[in-house]
Amino acid sequence: MVLLRGFLVLVVFFLLGEALRVLVGLPISGGVLGMVMVTATLMLRGRVSDQLAEASRGLISVLVLLISPGVVGVFFIADRFAGHWFSVAVALVAGTLLSSVTTLWLMKKTAGDRTRGHSHD
Amino acid sequence: MQELLLVWTTGPMLSIALTLAAFMAANWLFARVGRPLWMPPVLMAAVILAGAVAASGIGYETYQQGARWLTVLLGPATVALGVPLYQQMHHIRALWRPILCTLPLAASLAAVYAVGIAWLMDAPLSILASLAPKSVTAPIAMGIAEQLGGSVALTLGGLLITGVLASVFVDWGAKWMKISDDRMVGFALGLNGHAIGTARAFEISPTAGAFASLGMGLTGVFTALFLPFVFPF
Repeated sequence: MVLLRGFLVLVVFFLLGEALRVLVGLPISGGVLGMVMVTATLMLRGRVSDQLAEASRGLISVLVLLISPGVVGVFFIADRFAGHWFSVAVALVAGTLLSSVTTLWLMKKTAGDRTRGHSHD
Repeated sequence: MQELLLVWTTGPMLSIALTLAAFMAANWLFARVGRPLWMPPVLMAAVILAGAVAASGIGYETYQQGARWLTVLLGPATVALGVPLYQQMHHIRALWRPILCTLPLAASLAAVYAVGIAWLMDAPLSILASLAPKSVTAPIAMGIAEQLGGSVALTLGGLLITGVLASVFVDWGAKWMKISDDRMVGFALGLNGHAIGTARAFEISPTAGAFASLGMGLTGVFTALFLPFVFPF
């Protein structure tokens, strides 16, 4: 019952997110809008109920389970890369490697400068 | 035998059983082989699942129909990410400046690198449009790909591969650059690897997970708002 109440809150926020997406015509998914709305609501309330915390922990712990049916698709759609699979593969591998390293480097650089700046305060 | 398979596949239960079993087998195997960085549980589960789907003779289309009973939960699960985001808000406040400095450039580069490389290799425009939203969480990416004139199937394939690769590369990069701050690793995982990177981040720590949720959400919003304006340059 406790879990169900938290789950209901999450589903309602998902529906609200979808409503916002359709009514305002935003190109952002209902899930992400719902996530923003939950965070904003919790910040306004200043606390999170045990039911909601429990339900969200439960769902997040099975995130991999929920994603895996989609990932399986990769093994079955390989033929759609028809003729360009090599450039697609290089773009994905090299592009992701470069962007992952760039993000880490940028975070380290900007956070590092800030901490160093603070130490002089 | 054929009759039994027919009965089993009229409902979603066989798909659900296969997915649950693959997930649990992957978790068990992942712990057994010493949690290797290059083989995250999501990839392990997918490989086992692909083998099980192929071996069971259920067929990919039928499997996907049944698995929808699980994947619809991704909607509320995305909403659920807002809770750790709130719980870790003090960490995020402390790091708001590097986050805001990194986001626009890193989110743009996540698209630009891949599109640029594919363009240099003479890939057609439809492929470029499909690759552009590769670091964005699936429901947003599908919308962007359609808007740019790409193929949704190719985008989904590209973003799934990206998510798995990002989970591996961010771990490598962090080790190589001697970054042990869960907040930075988490943010990089969510920004580059969307939901798959976020799932990986929650395995590291709740803090990493919250930063990954933030990175994933911000990248999704940023890319959805700006990519349609700058593409095709």
